[in-house]
Amino acid sequence: MDGAPGMAGHVVIVGASHAGVQAAQSLRQGGWSGPITLLSAEDRLPYQRPDLSKAFLTEDRPDAPPLKGLPFYEANDIALKLNCRVTAIDRALRRVHTDSGETLGYDRLILATGATPRRLSAAAENIHVLRDLTDARALRKALRPGQRLAVIGGGFIGLEVAAAARKAGAGVILFEAAPRCLARALPAVATGVLLARHRAEGVDLRLACGPVAAVLDGTRARALRLADGREIRCDAVVAGIGCTAETGLAQAAGLTLAAGGIAVDAALVTSDPAIQAIGDCAAFTPPGAGAPLRLESIQNAADQGRHAAAVLLGAATPFAAVPWFWSHQYDLRLQMAGFPCPDAPALLRGTPGEAGFSVLHLDARHRLVSAVSLNAAADHMAARRLIAAGVPLDPARAADPGQPLLHAQADAA
Amino acid sequence: MPDPITLIFRTAAGTETRVPATPGQSVMEAAVMNGVAGIEGECGGCLSCATCHVFAPEGLGTPGPDEDAMLDCTEVERGPRSRLSCQIAVTAAMDGAVFDIPAAE
Ligand SMILES: Cc1cc2nc3c(=O)[nH]c(=O)nc-3n(C[C@H](O)[C@H](O)[C@H](O)COP(=O)(O)OP(=O)(O)OC[C@H]3O[C@@H](n4cnc5c(N)ncnc54)[C@H](O)[C@@H]3O)c2cc1C
Ligand code: FES
Repeated sequence: MDGAPGMAGHVVIVGASHAGVQAAQSLRQGGWSGPITLLSAEDRLPYQRPDLSKAFLTEDRPDAPPLKGLPFYEANDIALKLNCRVTAIDRALRRVHTDSGETLGYDRLILATGATPRRLSAAAENIHVLRDLTDARALRKALRPGQRLAVIGGGFIGLEVAAAARKAGAGVILFEAAPRCLARALPAVATGVLLARHRAEGVDLRLACGPVAAVLDGTRARALRLADGREIRCDAVVAGIGCTAETGLAQAAGLTLAAGGIAVDAALVTSDPAIQAIGDCAAFTPPGAGAPLRLESIQNAADQGRHAAAVLLGAATPFAAVPWFWSHQYDLRLQMAGFPCPDAPALLRGTPGEAGFSVLHLDARHRLVSAVSLNAAADHMAARRLIAAGVPLDPARAADPGQPLLHAQADAA
Repeated sequence: MPDPITLIFRTAAGTETRVPATPGQSVMEAAVMNGVAGIEGECGGCLSCATCHVFAPEGLGTPGPDEDAMLDCTEVERGPRSRLSCQIAVTAAMDGAVFDIPAAE
């Protein structure tokens, strides 16, 4: 980065969630001595988002677990400003404007603005999305016995909400426009086990349903209308139809965008050398990949937060973390490592079912490139190490659940 | 609220960080809430990440089957005192206990 402020400049971080908080922590712990300001549009201490579609929905507690306690920010001299939304970036003068009319100068700016859920075209008081604690509190009220929840979208959020709603005693109908749920993320055999469990728990799954629309009655949605005109009654709706990256600030400031996110290089630096972008809002090109992409995961947010800090502290290695992700539905524990390639030829390790199995994708040289594990945590942990190591495996041993995956490396020729 | 106790986290270089912990929390939560470097707790304690690996003092119980399987594959090789700290509940009796943080590679 040009004109490096050493380790004493002012770093301003926009967005205080998994990515932004990690960047602040790593900067301070790595020896950054200058001021660090963390700006959050939300009104509460940064908290763990994954909880919101899982335990939070079925438990009676007011808050999601915080990422850090308040003393952490004080002890590390990180100026956390809540209720503070950045409204514009002035790149020429290196300062940001906030919604309270404040301006704040920076030497280095980190954008960690995350993503916003897509909404249905219709709005009503009982049509929900799920991104922040306010959303989760509102949705939780709708998950009661005798109530019928319509979930639109069979992605991870939709499926996790369906599981939580069943646990809370609500009825669930899940609508997925495509013939298969999670087709871009999971091999069909893994989706099969997940969906079989949802059906067994009483979720009414409507796959390949095409587009659905909410039918409003005053300020409330009373039903969903299918493409063929049929109406299906419901008491509440939750849209789990994906997210768009929060790129408004970057775009208005003239930064380059790519793949729906803020374009960054291997140092997570945007088209302005004084500005980095990390987490859900950033689009990067992984080593060996042909095109930029965005990931929406805790691993990516935390690893990019650490990497952005390391770059400011002088490290020169490119960002090349192995992605991983988890999802919990009922007592099914799904874990993924590597970039998904659901339709590549796969090696099955174990018998598909709830007792635990993994689907492994090896490349032509038998190196592991991705792994999906269901109730097989040790396979997942091993897969992360094997993908990072890039060593050829012995396919027969890798497919044998009686032998630890970690030791399935091919014998040296 | 039960009274807080103190847990000590020690790096491979011997540096100690003392953090307050409350019975009912997990050892991981106490470390992460206070920003102890080297304990990330990325999955929030749901046994999905193993970024909360520590070498625990004796006498805090033994790993369950999933924890045990994950410990076989941690970044820093497992030792006899290896635990995933999200699976250890803080108790009043732990006041002053020392947890060693595996050295980052
Ligand atoms: C319900 C739910 C469940 C999830 N479950 C999992 C899971 O099980 N596993 C997993 O790996 N991932 C999961 N994820 C994804 C994960 O939470 C995200 O990838 C992660 O939160 C991304 O972190 P981030 O810091 O990049 O962005 P975000 O968490 O979106 O945070 C961005 C922050 O920036 C703030 N902001 C935006 N614009 C401005 C501005 N102009 N000024 C000031 N502040 C601003 C926002 O208010 C927000 O607080 C889940 C997400 C959700 C919503
Ligand atoms: S915090 Fe993820 S396994 Fe302990």
